[in-house]
Formats: sequence, structure tokens, C-alpha cells
Amino acid sequence: MKNRNEALDSYWRIGEPMVWISATALALTLLSAATLLIVIMVNGLGVFWPSDIEKVHLKDRPPVFGQLIRTEENAEKTGLRRQYKIANRDLYGLDFRWIDESQIDETQRPADLIVLERVEHGDFYGRLKTMTGPHTETSAVDLAGLNSALEKTTVELDQLSELEDKLSDASYRLEQLRLKQLKLDYDNAPVDTAAQSQLQRDKAELDREFGALITLQTRRLAEVRKAKAIFVDAAGQEKEISLVDIFQAYAPNTMSTGDKVVFYLHKLAELFIGEPRESNTEGGLFPAIFGTVMLIFVMSLFSFPLGVIAAIYLREYAKEGVVVRIVRIAVNNLAGIPSIVYGIFGLGFFVYGIGHGIDMLFFPERTPTPTFGTGGLLWASLTLALLTVPVVIVSTEEALGAIPREMREGSYALGATKFQTLYRVLLPMTSPGIMTGLILAMARAAGEVAPLMITGVVKLAPALPIDGNFPFLHLDRKFMHLGFHIYDIGFQSPNVEAAKPMVFVTTLLLVLIVLLMSSVAIGLRNRMKKRYTFGTF
Amino acid sequence: MTDYKPANPVLEVQDLRFYYGDSRAIHGVDITFPEKQVTALIGPSGCGKSTLLRCFNRMNDLIDISRVEGKVLLDGQNIYDKSTDIIELRRQVGMVFQKSNPFPKSIYENVIYGLRIAGEKDKALFDERVETSLRGAALWDEVKDRLHDSALGLSGGQMQRLCIARAIAVNPKVILMDEPCSALDPKSTARVEELIGELRKNFTIIIVTHNMQQAARVSDNTAFLFEGNLIEYGPTDQLFVKPQNKQTEDYITGRFG
Amino acid sequence: MNAAFLKKVKRNDQLARWVITVGGMAIIFSVIFILVLIAKVSLPLFLAPKAQLQQVVQLDRANEQIVTFGHDEYMETAYRLLDDGTTVFFNLEDGSEIDRFEPDPPAEGLTPLTVESFGRLRQAIGWSDGQLTVSQVRFKPFFDINNNNQRRIDHEIIPLALFPTPADGIPLISQARIDEEGRQTRVNRYPGNHLTLQVREVSENFLGDEEITETETTLSFNSSGTLTTLILSAAGQHLYAGTDRGELLRWYLSDTEEPKLIETVQAFADQRSITALNLVLGDVSLAVGDETGQVSTWFPVRDEMGDKKLKRIHTLSQHNGAVQKILPSPQDKSVISLGPNKLILDLMTSERFLLAFGEEEGLIDFRLSTRGDSILALTKEGRLLSWKLDIPHPEISLGTLFGKVWYEGYDEPVYAWQSSSASDDYEPKLSLAPLIFGTLKGTFYAMLFAVPLAIFGAIYTSQFARPRLREWIKPAVEVMAAIPTVIIGFLAALWLAPLIERSLGGVFLSLILLPAALMLSILAWQGARKIEPLKRLERGFEFLAIAPIIILTIAIAAACGPGLENLFFAGDLKQWLFTEMGTRYDPRNCIIIAFAMGFAVIPITFTIAEDSLSNVPNSLKAASLALGASRWQTVWRVILPSASPGIFAGTMIGFGRAVGETMIVLMATGNTAIMDLSIFNGMRPLSANIAVEIPEAPVDGSLYRTLFLSAVILFVMTFVVNTIAEIVRQRLRAKYGKF
Repeated sequence: MKNRNEALDSYWRIGEPMVWISATALALTLLSAATLLIVIMVNGLGVFWPSDIEKVHLKDRPPVFGQLIRTEENAEKTGLRRQYKIANRDLYGLDFRWIDESQIDETQRPADLIVLERVEHGDFYGRLKTMTGPHTETSAVDLAGLNSALEKTTVELDQLSELEDKLSDASYRLEQLRLKQLKLDYDNAPVDTAAQSQLQRDKAELDREFGALITLQTRRLAEVRKAKAIFVDAAGQEKEISLVDIFQAYAPNTMSTGDKVVFYLHKLAELFIGEPRESNTEGGLFPAIFGTVMLIFVMSLFSFPLGVIAAIYLREYAKEGVVVRIVRIAVNNLAGIPSIVYGIFGLGFFVYGIGHGIDMLFFPERTPTPTFGTGGLLWASLTLALLTVPVVIVSTEEALGAIPREMREGSYALGATKFQTLYRVLLPMTSPGIMTGLILAMARAAGEVAPLMITGVVKLAPALPIDGNFPFLHLDRKFMHLGFHIYDIGFQSPNVEAAKPMVFVTTLLLVLIVLLMSSVAIGLRNRMKKRYTFGTF
Repeated sequence: MTDYKPANPVLEVQDLRFYYGDSRAIHGVDITFPEKQVTALIGPSGCGKSTLLRCFNRMNDLIDISRVEGKVLLDGQNIYDKSTDIIELRRQVGMVFQKSNPFPKSIYENVIYGLRIAGEKDKALFDERVETSLRGAALWDEVKDRLHDSALGLSGGQMQRLCIARAIAVNPKVILMDEPCSALDPKSTARVEELIGELRKNFTIIIVTHNMQQAARVSDNTAFLFEGNLIEYGPTDQLFVKPQNKQTEDYITGRFG
Repeated sequence: MNAAFLKKVKRNDQLARWVITVGGMAIIFSVIFILVLIAKVSLPLFLAPKAQLQQVVQLDRANEQIVTFGHDEYMETAYRLLDDGTTVFFNLEDGSEIDRFEPDPPAEGLTPLTVESFGRLRQAIGWSDGQLTVSQVRFKPFFDINNNNQRRIDHEIIPLALFPTPADGIPLISQARIDEEGRQTRVNRYPGNHLTLQVREVSENFLGDEEITETETTLSFNSSGTLTTLILSAAGQHLYAGTDRGELLRWYLSDTEEPKLIETVQAFADQRSITALNLVLGDVSLAVGDETGQVSTWFPVRDEMGDKKLKRIHTLSQHNGAVQKILPSPQDKSVISLGPNKLILDLMTSERFLLAFGEEEGLIDFRLSTRGDSILALTKEGRLLSWKLDIPHPEISLGTLFGKVWYEGYDEPVYAWQSSSASDDYEPKLSLAPLIFGTLKGTFYAMLFAVPLAIFGAIYTSQFARPRLREWIKPAVEVMAAIPTVIIGFLAALWLAPLIERSLGGVFLSLILLPAALMLSILAWQGARKIEPLKRLERGFEFLAIAPIIILTIAIAAACGPGLENLFFAGDLKQWLFTEMGTRYDPRNCIIIAFAMGFAVIPITFTIAEDSLSNVPNSLKAASLALGASRWQTVWRVILPSASPGIFAGTMIGFGRAVGETMIVLMATGNTAIMDLSIFNGMRPLSANIAVEIPEAPVDGSLYRTLFLSAVILFVMTFVVNTIAEIVRQRLRAKYGKF
């Protein structure tokens, strides 16, 4: 029976504490991962919840309407202070304000306090005073009346947006004419041919059409803008706002939990299908989501066949020896090259090399404006394809290697060629593995930012890569991307505090997408591993 | 004694030497296999019997560093001739492996695999061949109601019989069997041995086995190999009862191997 | 089975073999191709400069005396000013005359006495009565629409200023400068070290009329020698002079009433005569040529007393005889000097000898074009030779890329990266040293945090944790690896950094409390494990038990942090750090980087290490345990050595990842290119630098190619690390068995 000290001593000597230390290491790792996810969820999920807005009565200053963001110790450490979002950026110059608790008399939640989401300048907190102009005559001066007036102006705006579609179509056709003209000039075509004069006629007609549309649009927009409402803030300051500038109006203090849930879901839908506003810090993510999806799609078109072919070569065709060993080292290195090096390669080779070459060959009349000689969807996809090819190669190779030799021999013994064996027996069996690699590659594409920043992703793309104009898929266009969105809004916004909610929401979305894809891929792979290691063949 | 020459040879091996890189694994084997009979190749582990077997359908070609010298005549034609079509060869000389290896496809698809890769498309032909082959492999009754189920759902013995069905579906001349029962339980082994007895009515069978009793039960002729050399070859009942070579006798009586 | 089908099948097989082999090899060689291409873009940085002789024109020495000359950017037209005041424009290709401009003296019958050419084809002509005119030759290229858009060059002479005769009479030598705001400066030199200054200020009064103020002062100085050379700065604000006793003098002329002699310095202890002076582009550095043939550059540097004194900074080429003339390049910081038998081009900043040409031609004078890429030189036999210069990237050399450089305005040579600034005459500072340092620093701190956590975590997961739990832990960590680094960077910068900054005390407290809590827990466990249900924790659930303890400890540390700061550090740890330790606390610093990059690296190292630990055959583990070893002893003595190849490989690969990481550092550091080991400030690594700089870098310029060079360095670093990992893994595999 050892005494207590001896037992302790041997406990140390046999190294048990080291087990606890290694447990701590694992716990720390998992805890930090959990913390990251929790922070994202907590901050991201709450963004769209319509919180109550308080009327804060101050001791010796006029009252303010504000949404409580957080409370913390004040700078002098004499008590607490609260951060309120006071909105009304165009009135106050700033969105947020720190107020010491000692300055606060009391807070109320007035029921008639309306929150406006606006097209410009962010949110507005205030009370409705009056409404004037078309569509407002029959409406009562309250939230319901405001919303019915807004509905009517929305109908007008929808009609206007049809007009806008016609306008953008006309402007696109004008642009095509301009480019045609450029080409003719470049080729030094004689100025008086039939083609040239037809071009002039077309241009003149389009100009007329365009002009007429513009006039119509301006007139109708001016008309609609006449519908206005006057709001008052907590201190009594008035602000006149055109109804067309109001995206949405609601009174959070009067909303029940059910109402708020509906509102939340509504905002969630808007996130997916809406366009961004206010330099990406508000509105929807549709272009970014679309751009990311397009990128993944085009990239997979390249990395999938390239990766699978390379893996098949490595496993089935290459002769064992120095060559294959070097090749394996090369593939491993391909996986370890920093993504920014791929980016700079893409810039130097694809954009300024091949892209420039294409411009010189096919679009020389457009110089110096680059068409393919600048970043775009195609080059970004190719760059990422190179980056993710090793992932596909490794997964495919692993899957191919897991197939027992007997499977191949059985096929050969029946008189099949190598190619027949590949596509009838082997490739079907490796499809989960290939799928795993592909999904992992796609997850990478959604999350990589550095190489994309320099090969074609932009803050705000003027158009989507797919539209109704020939050739329908515009590989030379710049596009938007969820990962870049996060970087851009978080770090290149003039107003970081106001942008933070949007960044968290985008981060949450991206994290969920990536986690989902990775989990599916890893799950697939683990299931496959089980099948092959304990399989009956 | 290696100069036993049975009648009606279908496969004739002349001075076959096999090399792995620089080392020789089979040293000059001469042997003749008679038509529609079962010949067993026996010997201790590592004596080269599997290697020899795989020379007969040129499966050893899959090994980069392998080299063959000598001749193997199938119906008089040297299969190692430059003009030989390996694909055609493998259709004529089928193989069943030690570890049964059905493809992860349906039973039906497994059986007609050999036909599909030959370009056949006729569904009627497929149906007919499936039934014939599965009957021939004594598997038809067990699986006729689930032809389109996955082959991986079969038991070990059934899978091996499926592999046999697959092999006979292309009507080969010779069927090579590389220790086909070593992964099976005794009951399945018995069924397969029974099957072999039936098959020899239509096919020439060459079977490698480390189980001497099996060789004695199943084969008409037996060849004993040791360290890459053919030590003795003769009708089974002769070899087992009165082996002419001391090594053969030692092996049969269990003194080594 | 039909023969046609068989043929087709075989053909497909061959085709497939061909396609797959080619495709496979292509992908593989793309690795090499990437490196080759990037290197190819960066190689021109080191291309040798070239000068090509273009034309030789023989002038008529008998009938013409040339006073000054010049040429246009395209090396097509040139002009020469003769001693009677005529300006002749001629074709540089064949010497044929294009036209003549009659002399235009300020008064009848005057002839040019002295001429100084300066700036962009400007000349200050001192006339025979002491007046001085400043004029400029302007070449105007245009595209002739009527003639197939061919380029033609028109030329004109524009008068800019007129100075009256100075009070002291006709000077020996005059120099003049005109600035943008209407200030005209003229310096006159008389025999016996007598210098005067004339300043004319032309301005518009509120009525819109021109007002001219003229002042004349004497510039006095003390010197044991005689003045040999003078140079005025471009705007006429500074005057430099050299003497035949090796002295340099410097005046500040901005205050027209009282020009100040700032300093007289004995530049050369051996009192060698100063034979040529000029100001390098930007007017900060002074280029000095002396009688021994040495060319050097100087600028004012703070000395021990805090005064700025002229100091020799760069020593350039050596001629084998007195330097006759120095001209600065109008494009960059290069200096062209004319010696007894040739022209030498040096780049000042990198002290790089670029070109020497014109040997044995007997050159007596030379001019640069306004673009600085061609030189026109006159021989003593009256021939004009023109050279085209091809100098890609003169400011780049291995010295400027990797060594300390003494940049203008700095007090000593430094490593600096600063790629641009607002002004055109900026001296680019493209040293890769701070960037490489930044990469290594970030990687170091990240690995410091990540490697222990990853390896110990892997040991626990594969050896001690419950197998069922292991099935969850492994995928969880793998999925952690998939989290985009942009998200990690964002959280690090916008959530973690403010948090740590606010509660720095708490952070340090937790660093102390955590190990202490761990120790306490282990000790407490001695007692607790006697209780049977708790003892079962030991069979693989330890990490679950320790998690709440960790959380609790951190919470306590966070709560007590402020109190601690109040107690020991007068309420502000950051302030204390600055005043007591001299380290400045940067809100975005390497503590954040260590956490963030560590977070990104841990899953990679963890996965590889865990895989290799688990692949050690169970039989080894069983054998050790059967011999009576404890589970930790088994791990330490048997399993770790066997798994060491994989663990090493995992560490190396994690290292490679940290080296190349871009987004996290881009967002979570201050991106300042400093070389400071402190964990409290940031850095700028190669990767983030590329991302930040390349969008604005002019294609094929020095910055662009230098960025590609840094990509090559990154590539090589990761390549080396990955290959070492692979080789060590193979070696150790042979040594410890096939795992």
C-alpha cells in the first residue's frame, strides 16, 4: 500500500499528467472552433430581428430614438455606457452614439415610432407627420396608410423597372453598334459603304428610341417622386422623404413575436434574392451568391476533368519509378503553393498573357480598353481550377487506390481493354471519391479570396455574368463573390460599424455553405473508407 | 517424371521460362494439357504454380518487369507470338481467382460483362446466356428471382460460383482456376468441387490448389511443381498412389509444404 | 464477336491511353510551368543595361562654333546654338538642316557669352552686355491626318525670362532658374570668390496687372580655396558650390532679403578639387565629381548634435581622370558623368554601375533627352554622336532588394518597403527584407501557438480518447480546416482584436492562470479519481472534463483582468508597456496573428499527425503495454518515434501553409512593413504585400516585376519545405518501418 506521496510521485512519473495536458490541447482547439462558430451565429442570426426602438430621454439634451446595441464600462470607468444606433445618418452625420447611463432619465417604447429602410443613407427612425403627393390622398396618416401608399408607389416602380429593362436593352444595343463602328474604323473601312450608312441609320434610330425612353423615364420618375412623407425625429427635427426612397416601413414596438418572426423570414428571403444597397452594406446578396455559384460551376468544368485524368494517369498508366515519384512530389507541391502565388500567376499568364493575346487577335479595335485582357469570370475560374486540381487528384487517386487489384484483374481476365476496365468498372466505383474531391474543391472556391481579388472579382459588378444577350454567358465580365464581399464590406467600407451586421450575415451564410459542403464530402469519404476496408471483397 | 503426354492436347507448354526482372521464377517447364479434362497444379507455397497459371492467359503481362521465354501453344498457336491478340486470348482462356471478385453491379450484369465488352447488344442473347451460365455454375435456382440485385449481396460461395458463371458465359476453351476454394467454407468448397466435375464436360480446366486432397478428388491429371521446376506430371491416380519422384512423395505425404 | 468492334475497342483504348498520358503529364508539369512563368516575369529585373549607338553626324567645325545643343524624344530632330546666337534645327539622321532661327538678343548686336543648359531643354544665355535670357526649346509631335497619320515634329523656341545686367557688371559665369510660381533666380560669379544673387518675383496684383520685384544681394562665404563649380536647384531655392580645396558650400535662397549660407563642409580630407556638380532628380541629393575621377552623392543627414550636415552617402564610379560634367536623369535617380575618355551611367540609390560608353571618342560635352532614354554627345572633332539607352529597372539590384540602403532623407541605411508616394521624383524603396522578415515573423508566432496544440491534440485523439469520440473529433477538426481564411481574418480583426485590446490584462492573466488551473486540476484529480464513477473519465473523456475548467479559468481571468491592471499597471497595461518597456502596443498585432493563423494551421497539422499516429500498428502498442509501460510512456517511447515521419511532415506542411497565408494577415495586421520582433506590433509578409500592391502596379514596371520576384521566393520557400517534408518522411519511414 503506497503512501500518498509515493502514489503522487509515480503518477507524475508514469506521465499521466501529460495525458491531461494533451487533453487540454485538444479541448482548447475544439473550444476555439466552437467559439468562432458561436460568435458568428450570435452576431449573424440576430441581425434581421426587428428589435424595439427606444425613445431615450436625456437629462439636459433633447431625446433621441435609438436601438440599444450593447452596454459596457465607460472610458473613465465610473459606470456604464450604452451604444445606441440612432440611424438618420443624413440628419446627424453618424449612425451610432455612446450615451452614459448617468445621462439617461428614462426610456420609453412609443408605439407610433416607425423604422424606415431606405434606398440611401441607411435607416430612419421617426414619427410620421404628413404625406403629400400622388397615391397618398386616400391614406391615413399612420403606418397602415403609409404602407398602402408605399404599395401603390411600388406598383409604379415596377412599371418603371420594366422601362429600365428596355433602356438597358437599348443601351446594350447601342454599345454593340459602337463596337461595330470601332471595328470598321480599325479596319480602315471606307466611310461611304452601305454597311457604314446602315450603321449610321441604326445608330440614329436607336438614339431616338433611347432618348424617348429616357424622357419617359425621367418624367414618370419625377411624377412618382412627388409622393412624399414628412417624418419627425425625437427632437422634433423634420425630414421630408420621397416614398420611392423608402424600401420598407415598420413599427417594431407594435409587432408581436409572430410578426417579428414573419419579418425575419421576409428579410432572410430578401437576403437571397435582393440586390445590394448602400455600397454593399445593406440589401441582398443575390449578385454575390450568383457570382460565387457561377465561379464554382465554371471552375469545376475545368478542374474536374483535369484532376480525374491526372489521377488516372498516376494510378493506372504511369510506370513505377523515378518519374512517378517526381510526379507525386510535384502534385504534393501543387497543393502547398500559396494561393496568392496562383493569383499572381493567373494575373501574369491568363490575364495579361492569354487575355491580352485574345484582345490583340479578336478585339484589336477596342484597345486600349481591355476585353479579356483584364480580370473576369473565365480567368478567375481557371486560376481557381489550377489551385483546386490537386484536391481532385488526391481524392480520385485515393479512391482508385482503394479498389483491390482483383477487381482489375477480373476485368482483364475476361478480355477487356484498360480503357474498358476504366469506364465500366473502375470509374463507377470511384465516383464517390471523385465527388468528395469535387465538393472539397467547390468549398475551396467559395472561400478563397486572395487569388480572386486580382483576377476578376469586384466590389460591385455592373451586370451578372449571365443575361439575355448573346452569347448569354459572358466570361469576360467581372463578378461578385461572397468571400470577397466579407473582405470588402468589413475593410473597405467608409462606415465599419454600420457595415458590421451585413458582414456577419454574409459570414454566417458562407460558413454554413462551406461547412455543409465539407461535411458532406468528409462524410462521403469516411463512408467509402469503411466500405472498402471492411468490404467482402 | 515429366514426359507424360496426354491425348488431345489443347494447351501445350514448351520450355517455358519466366523472369521477374533479373531473377528467374520458372525454369523451363514442358507440359501438355488435354482437352476437357481437369488438370491440377500442386506444390508448396512459392513454387510458382500461380505464376505458371497466369502465363496461360498472359495475366503476367500486367507486371512491368516480367518476361517470358519459351512457347505456350493454344490449339497450335503460340500465345506469346507478337501477332497474338491478347483480348481474344483472354476470351478463350478464362480465369477464376482465389478471392472472388464480382463487380459491384447486378448479378445479371456481372454474367454478361464479357459479352458487353465484346460489343454484344442483343438482349435476347443476354437473357439466354445468363440462364445457361448460371445453370452451368449451379447458381440459377438460387438467384433466378433476383437477377438484378447487387452481386455483393451474395454469400462467399455464391459469389465464387457467380465468377465461374461469368467466366463460362463467354464460352472459353480453357478455364484457369487459381485456388478457387481457399477462401470458402467446407460446404461451399464441396459445391464448387462438384461444379468442377460438371464443367469438365464442356471445358478444359486447369486448377491450382494447395489442397492435395482436393487435387486428388477433382482432377484427372496432376502436375507437381517445386521451386519453379516441374518435378512430376501424370494421371492423378498414378501420381498420388505411386509417385515416381522422391520429392513428389515427400510432398504428398506431408513431409514439407 | 466481330472484328470491327474489336478494332474500335482497341482504337479507343489507344486513344484513351494517349489522352490520359498527355493530360496527366500536362497537369503535373503545370507546377514547373507556374514557376517558370513567374520567374520569367521577374527576370528582366536583372537584365543588363544596353547603350546602342544610333547616328553620327559630322558638323562643320571650321565655320561653326557650337555653344549648346539638344535633341527630341524620338531622336529625329536636334538643334545647335552657335556662338553668334543662331539656332539651327537639323535632322539627326543625316545632319541635313531643317531650319534656322535668327539670334534673338535682348539688345542689338549682342552675342552669347556663356550658356548653361538645364532642365527640359532650357538654356540660360548670358549675353555680352551682362543681360541673361532664359528660353526653352519645345518639340511638339503631332499626327498628320493628311499624310496617313504619320508622326511629325514641330519645334519652337519659347522665351521665358530676361534678367538685367547685374550691378557688379558682366559676370564670369551665370546660372538661372525659373519656378512655377513666377520666381526667377540668377546667380552670378565674379573673379575672386565673389558671388551675387539676383531674384525677380513676377506676380499678379489684385487688378490683374503684372508686378515685378527685383532684388540683388551678395552671397558671402569663407573659403581657403577658389570656387570651381556651382549648381542651383530646379526651383532656385538652393545653391551648392564646390571649391578647388575639396569644400562644399550650401545656401538657402528662399528668403530673398537674406539668403543664408547653411554650411561649409570639408568634403574631402585630401582637399581634392571639385570639378563637377549637379543635383539628382528630386533636388535632395547632390552629385559631386572630383579631380581624381570619383563620382559620389551627398545629402544632409542629422549628426549627433541634431543638425543636418552634408554627408557622403553613395560612392559611385571612378573615372581615370577629373570628372568633367555630371547630368542627372530626368526619370529616376541615375547620374551620368563624363570623364576624360568616356561616359558612365550609375544609379545612385543602389550604387549600381549601369553603363559605360563612348570610350576613346574624345567626348567633350553631352545632353540627355527629356525622357532620359537617349544621349547626344559632342566630340572634340566636331562630331555629334547619339545613343539609345535601354535600362530596364535600374533601381533594382540584389543590394537594394536584400540589403540595407541609404535612401534620401534618411539618417542611415535601412531596410524599407514603400512602393509609391504622391510625387513623381520619388525614390522607390523596394527592399524585400522587411517582407521576408514579416513572413517569417508571422509564421513563427503562428507555429508557436499551433504546433503544440495540434500535436498534443493529435496524440490525445489517437491514443487516449474513446474511439467513439474519435469518430466525431476527427471530422470536426477536418471541417475546421475548411473554414475560409477570410472569415477567420474578419473575426480576428473585427472581433478578437478589439476584445484583446480592451482586456489585455485578462489575456496575460489567462496565460498564467491556465497552466496553474491545469496543475491544480491534476492535483485535485489525485483525490477525485478515487471516486469510482469519476475514474471512468480516465478512459477517454478527459478532454470533456477539462473543457469547463478552461472556460471557467478564462472567465475568471477576463473578470479579474481590469482589477489586475489597476493594481499593478496603473490602470492601463498598454501605457505601462510603452513607458516601461518601450514597446508600442499595436491594436492589430502578432497576438492576434498567432491565434488566427494558428487556428488555420492547426487542423492541417492535426490531421496528418493524427493519421500517422493512428497508423502505428496496434501490435506495437499492445507489446509495450504488456511489458508494463504506462499509456503515456508507450506513447512517448514507442508510438511517437514510429509516427515521427508523419508528425514532422504535418508540421512542415502547416509551416508551408502559414508562409503562404494571405487573407488573415491582410485583415488582421496593420500591414506595416517593419522589422520588429515584438509580439505587440504587426508586420507585412510577402503574401499580403502581393495582394495589396499588385492591383495598382503598372504592368511590367519595377514594382510589378519585384512583386513577381517575391512570388518566386514564396514558391521556392513552400516548395523547399514541402520537399523536405516528403524526403524526411521517406527517410524516417525506411528507418522506423513502413507506416
